[in-house]
Amino acid sequence: MASVAIGSGEQYNYDIVRKFTIMALIWGAVGMLVGVTIASQLAWPYLNFDIPYITFGRLRPVHTGAVIFGFGGSALFATSYYIVQRTCQARLISDGMASFTFWGWQAIIVLAALGDVMGYSQGREYAEMEWPVDLLITVVWVAYAIVYIGTIMKRKEPHIYVANWFYLAFILATALLHIFNNLAIPFSMTQSYPLFAGAQDAMTQWWYGHNAVGFFLTAAFLGMMYYFVPKQAGRPIYSYRLSIVHFWALIFMYMWAGSHHLHWTAIPDWTSTLAATFSIMLLMPSWGGMINGIMTMSGAWDKLRTDPIMRFLIVALSFYGMSTFEGPMMSLKDVNALSHYTDWTVGHVHSGALGWVAMISFGAIYHMIPRLWDTKMHSTKLINVHFWLATIGTLMYITAMWISGIMQGLMWRAYDDFGNLQYSFAESVAAMHPYYAMRALGGAVFLTGMLLMLYNCFMTIRQAKSMPAGGLAASAA
Amino acid sequence: MEWLMWFTRFENTKPVALLIFFITFCAILFYVFGSKKRSERLESYKNMPLQDD
Amino acid sequence: MDHGKIEKNLGLMLVLTMFAISIGGLVEIVPLFFIKGTIEDVRNAEGIKMVRPYTPLEQRGRDIYVREGCYLCHSQMIRPFRDEAMRYGHYSLAAESQYDHPFQWGSKRTGPDLARVGKKYSNEWQVQHLIAPRSMVPESVMPNYPWLLSTALDTSDMASRMKALRTTGVPYSINKAEYDNNVKEFGEDVAKQLHIPDAQKNLIEQAQTGKYDGNPADITEMDAMVAYLQVLGTMVDFSKLDSDNFVKFR
Repeated sequence: MASVAIGSGEQYNYDIVRKFTIMALIWGAVGMLVGVTIASQLAWPYLNFDIPYITFGRLRPVHTGAVIFGFGGSALFATSYYIVQRTCQARLISDGMASFTFWGWQAIIVLAALGDVMGYSQGREYAEMEWPVDLLITVVWVAYAIVYIGTIMKRKEPHIYVANWFYLAFILATALLHIFNNLAIPFSMTQSYPLFAGAQDAMTQWWYGHNAVGFFLTAAFLGMMYYFVPKQAGRPIYSYRLSIVHFWALIFMYMWAGSHHLHWTAIPDWTSTLAATFSIMLLMPSWGGMINGIMTMSGAWDKLRTDPIMRFLIVALSFYGMSTFEGPMMSLKDVNALSHYTDWTVGHVHSGALGWVAMISFGAIYHMIPRLWDTKMHSTKLINVHFWLATIGTLMYITAMWISGIMQGLMWRAYDDFGNLQYSFAESVAAMHPYYAMRALGGAVFLTGMLLMLYNCFMTIRQAKSMPAGGLAASAA
Repeated sequence: MEWLMWFTRFENTKPVALLIFFITFCAILFYVFGSKKRSERLESYKNMPLQDD
Repeated sequence: MDHGKIEKNLGLMLVLTMFAISIGGLVEIVPLFFIKGTIEDVRNAEGIKMVRPYTPLEQRGRDIYVREGCYLCHSQMIRPFRDEAMRYGHYSLAAESQYDHPFQWGSKRTGPDLARVGKKYSNEWQVQHLIAPRSMVPESVMPNYPWLLSTALDTSDMASRMKALRTTGVPYSINKAEYDNNVKEFGEDVAKQLHIPDAQKNLIEQAQTGKYDGNPADITEMDAMVAYLQVLGTMVDFSKLDSDNFVKFR
């Protein structure tokens, strides 16, 4: 065993995977800490402290940037480099370029956060980064595409495993979205005005915003799922043919659904009707992925009792199924009339982000770390505690947001006996307070789990480094 | 070029688009599930992640 | 057609994937630039456009609105529902945000919609509310923005900001011909405000005469912010229009 482990260390570039894995953990902790901070600011506004740099409006993009691009992005870089090498049985084509993507990506996250707190913002959700950072993203992304595609070209196996298809679609779509959403005319070294205005700008932004979710936070994480679920379960994916059908359906349909974020607004009605139609249809390929993942477990359900990593993966798929049912429902115009502009949307995002994206990443990282450092996890018990904290935290969060979201929607449209509005807006804000507090608490529980993971992984890596290479495997043998 | 104008009308393009996409979808389905031999070949790829150690 | 080829031919797979992900955006976004009715052409009886580009001071206020991330809690898009009509006013037209780079329709109402907040409150109320929201609305969870009143507005780069906006298509004028065209489209008073060579002068003049932050001596970010808030949703005078006119655009 030991010789295989050492051999594979030379065969593959694991160094880059290790670096991205560590940064995923760190950005996860940072991003979630900022998340708990801004959630608390909404419950207790004095926490803004009258300091411009840490007011809600500036910290919110720091939160989204750090968790989506810092945590999610680093986890995707790590897993994609890990999977592409192992399923193609080929080393990354260039260690130098891979290293460039690492340092470039980390610089982007730091610069984006600094820009946010300094107030350099494009005013576009999830794309607040100003034009110099956007250019850097483009360069790093091209390097990433070259490394990834080049490695696939070097593969020993003629077939390209399905996980890589999802990562490929993610790389292409992200490039496309990033470029068109960030077209802007600079007027200084740090600031610019977007090229489009009003309705067209809204369409472009939500085409980006929705598909950032669709490709960055869904397709790519499905790629992660297609490798790590079979790996951890020790059995192949339920149906390879289903994965082919649902891949093409998913990537085709996602791109149509963006304007469901703009129902009832000043865009032509046909665009939002079209978006709603495709959003409903999107349920099918989404559930195709969920079914494929969960059914992989059939016959091995007992693993869930003993293996907390498997639990992370399966609960992630369950949240994925739940969110991809909730999403199409919210894209119905009548439901959207109630849910839009409320906390329900925020809850929906987090059932996807915490329940699906974060949990599948936790599972994947717990799976990779012992293999990357050729050791075993410091504490399986702590993984188990993390699992429960993450699950309870997510449930608290989304429950609080369901209640406050639906309550907001109903209060805004409530009439008294005389046909006047029953509540002032301020009354609806006051009614949210307990749920905002509950949301902050749920987030804090989730963050606690993240910190436990950070500690657990730190201890694992430290113990691995104090041991000679392959020492554990040798002693086990 | 007069015939091109036919495509500019929603009542024409909607069913045409629907037809194209639906046929494409059916073709993919047929391809994937249609032949037993091809099915076996496709399903054999699912073992790839398990063979990499 | 053999899917085995796609799985094994990376180039073909990339092309097909690119094709599959491009169609949706092409079909939904590109037509918006060409279909005429997407942006309503709203004119008064004299044929003057009701929706105009922002004055330099308003545009600076808008930039601060974007900088502080106001859009993360306030929408600027009133939907065509009875309760929103009662709470906020006439539903928003696409025309009303046609010069908004970037659009600020927002996605979340932690605070109320601001699409028609202009002229609803006095300048004094706006200043006090921005400095200390809970002194005006006890239930509010909005952060305090005291620094808007104490930070001097940088007026020096106004022309370069307007030039960048002009490049995107906002009709700010840079020469006589463009200015004359603006006079025809927006009337002379507005056209003067849109003239880039006078940008800084216009900005300072509006801030000093507008009594936005209550102190004409200093031009602060508060001047710009309040000027922007007070113009929101006020450009189209719906009392002069037949509102059924807009239904056909939806």
